[in-house]
Amino acid sequence: MNWPHSKSPLGGAFEEPEHDGMHRLGPMQRISIPRRRFRDEDVVDYVIVGVGSAGGVLLQRLARAGFDVVGFEAGPFWDTERDWVSDEAGSHNLYWNDLRIIGGKDPLALGSNNSGKGVGGGSVHWAAFTPRFHPSDFEVYTRDGVGADWPIDYEDIEPYYELLEQEMPVAGPAWYPWGKPHGHPYAPHPMGAVGDALITGCTRLGIGVSAGGPVAILSASRGDRPHCIYRGFCIQACKVGAKASTLITHVPDALKHGAEIRDTSMVSRIEIGKDGRATGVHYFDAEGREHFQRARCVIVSGYAIETPRLLLNSACPGHERGLANSSGTLGKYLMAQAGNVILGRFEELIRMYKAPPAHALTEEFYETDPTRDFARGFAIQTVGPLPIAFAKQMMAAKGQWGWGLRRSMMDYNHWAAFGLLGEILPWADNTVELATGANEKDRFGLPVARVSFNLHENDKRLIEFGKNKTMDVMRAAGAVEVVQEQRFAHLVGAARMGKSPHDSVCDKFGRTWDVDNLFVMDGSVMPTQGSANPGLTIQSLAARTADYLISNHSAIQSGAKRSLEEPGIRKTLSPPGTFRSGIPHLR
Amino acid sequence: MSENKSPLTDPRTGEALPQRVQPGYYPKWRVMREYRYWDAATRDVVTQRLEAPKPLRFFTAEEAGVMEAVLDRILPQDDRLPAQRIPLLPVLDTRLATNKLEGYRYEDMPPDQEAYRLAVRALDAMAQEIYGAPFISLTVTSQELLLKSLSEGHPAGAKELWSTLNVKRFWTLLVSDACAAYYAHPWAWDEIGFGGPAYPRGYMRLEAGRPEPWEFNEERYGWTAPADSISDYADPESGHTASAHGQAGTH
Ligand SMILES: Cc1cc2nc3c(=O)[nH]c(=O)nc-3n(C[C@H](O)[C@H](O)[C@H](O)COP(=O)(O)OP(=O)(O)OC[C@H]3O[C@@H](n4cnc5c(N)ncnc54)[C@H](O)[C@@H]3O)c2cc1C
Ligand code: SF4
Repeated sequence: MNWPHSKSPLGGAFEEPEHDGMHRLGPMQRISIPRRRFRDEDVVDYVIVGVGSAGGVLLQRLARAGFDVVGFEAGPFWDTERDWVSDEAGSHNLYWNDLRIIGGKDPLALGSNNSGKGVGGGSVHWAAFTPRFHPSDFEVYTRDGVGADWPIDYEDIEPYYELLEQEMPVAGPAWYPWGKPHGHPYAPHPMGAVGDALITGCTRLGIGVSAGGPVAILSASRGDRPHCIYRGFCIQACKVGAKASTLITHVPDALKHGAEIRDTSMVSRIEIGKDGRATGVHYFDAEGREHFQRARCVIVSGYAIETPRLLLNSACPGHERGLANSSGTLGKYLMAQAGNVILGRFEELIRMYKAPPAHALTEEFYETDPTRDFARGFAIQTVGPLPIAFAKQMMAAKGQWGWGLRRSMMDYNHWAAFGLLGEILPWADNTVELATGANEKDRFGLPVARVSFNLHENDKRLIEFGKNKTMDVMRAAGAVEVVQEQRFAHLVGAARMGKSPHDSVCDKFGRTWDVDNLFVMDGSVMPTQGSANPGLTIQSLAARTADYLISNHSAIQSGAKRSLEEPGIRKTLSPPGTFRSGIPHLR
Repeated sequence: MSENKSPLTDPRTGEALPQRVQPGYYPKWRVMREYRYWDAATRDVVTQRLEAPKPLRFFTAEEAGVMEAVLDRILPQDDRLPAQRIPLLPVLDTRLATNKLEGYRYEDMPPDQEAYRLAVRALDAMAQEIYGAPFISLTVTSQELLLKSLSEGHPAGAKELWSTLNVKRFWTLLVSDACAAYYAHPWAWDEIGFGGPAYPRGYMRLEAGRPEPWEFNEERYGWTAPADSISDYADPESGHTASAHGQAGTH
């Protein structure tokens, strides 16, 4: 750290970092600037499209196992000291801001509401809530006759939850009661005033509530990552390095083991050879020049909009409807969670800009309850909108502008905000397609995505009930005025995994049914989404797929018959110092 | 800003309140005094906002006149001393000139640039149709009545022009852009008591809205909006329709 060199108070502010040719990932961690390692003509073992939540974990695992692997990332390789700021408006460039067209009866706002761009992907701007999915999530169709079943059970992913909770690591209570009860390796965080309000409201209504996590934010320093300083800018990316992102947790280890990241490189098409196997990817470099990287196996990890878009843009003879789309399900069953924000005004001061937005939640309403008129459920979580986001919420929730808006904003410090997180079921008419308009192309001339979204009856009932329950909790906490804004959070689906090639894009390891050496592994493979934030599950699925790839590497190369055997968990692939660090095992 | 706008009044005495260097309930709070405690990158981004605004590149002089008047009503600043008013139009102009997008466009909306050009024309056409005068020469009340009709999605005039886009979505875009400019400014943070950037120092007093040693508690005062304004109202029913607006991420 360079604090002691500074003349400023506290040994900081941090001055402009020295130009020592090093790349900074947080205030303490420095790595040498990643260099190009492979040539386009080299046939690398794996190309990963998108170094985000899933891509970062895959890259690290495959490199550690000794493979030649290149991660392509459309956005930049962040130097967190130079590129990131503690500022709402100044963080706009963290998101996928390129054009997308949205429609349907309930259009999904994208951009800052949904997808990241740059190494780390969405894990750079996530709030880092890391609840696990519940066992029931994997068999929604069997239990409730709606949605879909997963091709795996909770038990298949459980060991990977345990690994990733240590690798991030996750802070939270020692006893987490919902789903399959479990504990967390790092201590829960102290409460901010929003968390206090959630606890007060829930407690008064007899609703169980988890305080201080689960959240992938350090409550104590570890290695070269400092602990949280409660500055509340998580969604603007954590300059402190306390909040986990694959950029700081997995990418450094990947590079150390020989992975290459080709940043500011947009993959435009996956090439299929005469034998029907993927041969590599076409991509545009930072100057807009087109290249072709050869590879033995391609993994697409571009998230729920860009993954289907790339597969659709890769249509070729034999795959006229898009790659891996013989089932016709590619781009269908896109999901977002109901993300209504419930805002409560208190007589006393709250100051919701302090503490991480994510610090308390309840999953008491997660499961299907036969006394309600809808299937599945929801969670209630803390959120912490900063001034611009809050102003837009006042506009939306109270219809305000002019003096009314100025008046509400002067009371910013009196408001607390809760987020509903409700399960919306997968529906065939919620889709990602290619836009067809003449102006609907990106700067490389590729058609952009057109995203269509519609709520169905079960979703509407769930939102109505969940919203009202959350408002009740806010009132019980002592709010004197409670309003809400309807919105959505988190995308998943649109390239779902399944048991049969007839109704899914890929198998339970993300291997596409149609092209033997083409995988999809990111949020888009999820058949349903529960009412847990998806990030932990996405990273855990990626670690599991890495184990599968490592076990089956030569079979995949030689075109041998597809194996659906569980690969067995490899516990030796975690980044250093993370495995077996202090998780309370509750069995 | 025109001179003839009514100032705010004290609700108890009915007397005019003075214009302030800093409206809001934290008169002692100046976030910029803390800038030495911020990291260099953040300091640069925030201090740039205090520099003199750049000349307009997107809006023509005529369009700029209308937009200035509109933004004056969307986030009125008549309670601020003229030198302490936060520039909104230049921020919007830069966004449109550099094509800084939000990452999506509704299928029933043209690109943002076209939407703004059309809206300026439609606002003037509305003003002519209903009041027989250009938008900028209307009274505050008349301007606000026209704007309110947009906020409700039923423009009071120029219906043909407005029919080419989704008016409610345009309204949201407009108010969002105004908010993004105003509440990114350190003077607005002073006004609402927002602690601002906090790296590397961080916050320590998390509970019960307590101030850090460098923050302040509130000193509230009552104020009544100008008598000729209709914009001091709330309509909580409006939060029940999904995605009619731009949504910044929360969770
Ligand atoms: C404001 C906000 C808060 C959130 N909070 C939480 C939370 O608290 N907890 C949680 O679990 N989740 C949260 N999420 C969701 C979470 O961030 C995502 O679900 C997750 O990051 C998705 O992971 P992924 O690997 O599927 O995709 P990503 O992490 O988005 O990675 C995809 C990457 O691929 C790159 N890419 C795409 N196409 C191409 C291409 N053609 N060529 C090259 N590169 C490409 C993209 O640039 C991107 O970096 C939040 C999201 C938002 C917007
Ligand atoms: S609140 Fe903690 S985790 Fe979030 S950005 Fe600040 S230091 Fe990082």
